[in-house]
Amino acid sequence: MPPGLDALKHIVVLMMENRSFDHMLGSLKAVNPQIDGVDGTQWNPDTQGNQVFVQPLAQFQGQLDPDPDHAFPAVDQQIFNGDQSSPRVASMQGFVANYFQQQQDVAHSQKIMYYFTQNQLPVLTSLATNFAVFNRWFASIPGPTLCNRAFAHYGTSFGQVGMSVFYPHGKSIYERLQDAGHTAKLYYFDQQSSSLEVVNLLQHQPQLFATYDQFLADCKSGKLSDYSFIEPNYSDHDSDDGESLASDQHPDHNVQAGELYIASVYNAIQANPTLWASTALLVVYDEHGGIFDHVPPPACTPDGYSAGPAATGLNYTFNFDRLGVRVPAILISPWIPKGTVVGTDRVFEHASIPNTVTNQFIGPYPVATPREQAAQTFLDLLSLPAMRTDSVVFNT
Amino acid sequence: MTDAAPEPGQPKQHKRGTASKAAPVERGDVTFIQVPIPPRSAFNRDRPAGLLLQAQVKHIHHAESARLPKEKRDGRSPEDIHTEAEAAAYIAKVTKLLHPQRRKRSKPKPAGNTGT
Repeated sequence: MPPGLDALKHIVVLMMENRSFDHMLGSLKAVNPQIDGVDGTQWNPDTQGNQVFVQPLAQFQGQLDPDPDHAFPAVDQQIFNGDQSSPRVASMQGFVANYFQQQQDVAHSQKIMYYFTQNQLPVLTSLATNFAVFNRWFASIPGPTLCNRAFAHYGTSFGQVGMSVFYPHGKSIYERLQDAGHTAKLYYFDQQSSSLEVVNLLQHQPQLFATYDQFLADCKSGKLSDYSFIEPNYSDHDSDDGESLASDQHPDHNVQAGELYIASVYNAIQANPTLWASTALLVVYDEHGGIFDHVPPPACTPDGYSAGPAATGLNYTFNFDRLGVRVPAILISPWIPKGTVVGTDRVFEHASIPNTVTNQFIGPYPVATPREQAAQTFLDLLSLPAMRTDSVVFNT
Repeated sequence: MTDAAPEPGQPKQHKRGTASKAAPVERGDVTFIQVPIPPRSAFNRDRPAGLLLQAQVKHIHHAESARLPKEKRDGRSPEDIHTEAEAAAYIAKVTKLLHPQRRKRSKPKPAGNTGT
């Protein structure tokens, strides 16, 4: 076993909200051509037939308002540009046309093609270039937040392609670990933000939860669980400490607040040398939020469910046999070679998370869905024979 | 298992809109990167609650109805909640009942909280 895997005691996942790979990390293609980002040649047609090229003009806030549609029918249009034939090609040409529908404003619809420069996102891009960035990590479903986040917790969304995911059955990764004598914790930001996606667990298994304050304390004291899942702050609200700014990066929340949050999670782990040596941190986004990405989502192993026309809002049944749009994903550990770019031949999705965690701490788990069992695991990226001594520290 | 960290560990609190951009600074093997902070105008508690928060409110309401006795329930329905601040207040009220915990004064929070 590689020494990095031998040393590994903790896996931490931070899942952010609604930004595509090209939007957040596409600029890094100029830094390293192995990173499958944008080079200015990618485009979409607008509703007047003009070519709208990607441009480095993304703003931290105020630009993607209203929130781009990312319900199942909208994402279908973004990927297939309205083509309803069978078979059809994922052209990734329908983003501008889809965003136009919300305001009927051609100029505004073009903003869906904007991406951030490297300098605008020093945290995310530094982590991507210093550790491992995934060229092919996709949302699990071409749809919205909750069904996608379900894959991170359960390896399936139980046939749901929307926001009404109430998890009628199935064992979450946290319960699996608990049953096997391991420890797991879900850290929500504060009580005003709470848990977004697994209220069912909050309702029935509150012992699995803690606040972000507790995460910081657990990192400092070295009492982190085997597996931790961190939720950002989902709203602007007042708290005992004053104004609390949403850090989830969901449009139209401020992207810089999310950068600070990612930095604080990273710093908390990195500041404890023992924890740093024994922890892998995955920063990943739940779905693309309706924002342009140029990579067609691939097919995947179905998980045995199907969603009919009433659920998809389209005239076909979705068999969970292809993935959603590509999202940013970065794996961080001192056992990863600097500048690792995970190649286009390896496809990951959110079911990779429970599959990786289960394999690492429990072993074979045959009751997981076929989809989860087929999902790639990522801990082999901790491949160095000795731990790196260089590091990045964020001044926040 | 305890792997306690040496002091100091956490980033300091900062004021929104007061940091300056700075190039990465390398000291030995460590690269220090300054993280810009959002302007004060980024905060808007009166922003209409988006679909995501609306869905969260529905899930919290579902849990409240299933778990809490009538006398402990907030009484509001998801349709009564319109802004982010209203959603946060309702979510906090129910979360406190579902997941009671002692409030402890911690060190100032980093990103995502006051002063980000």
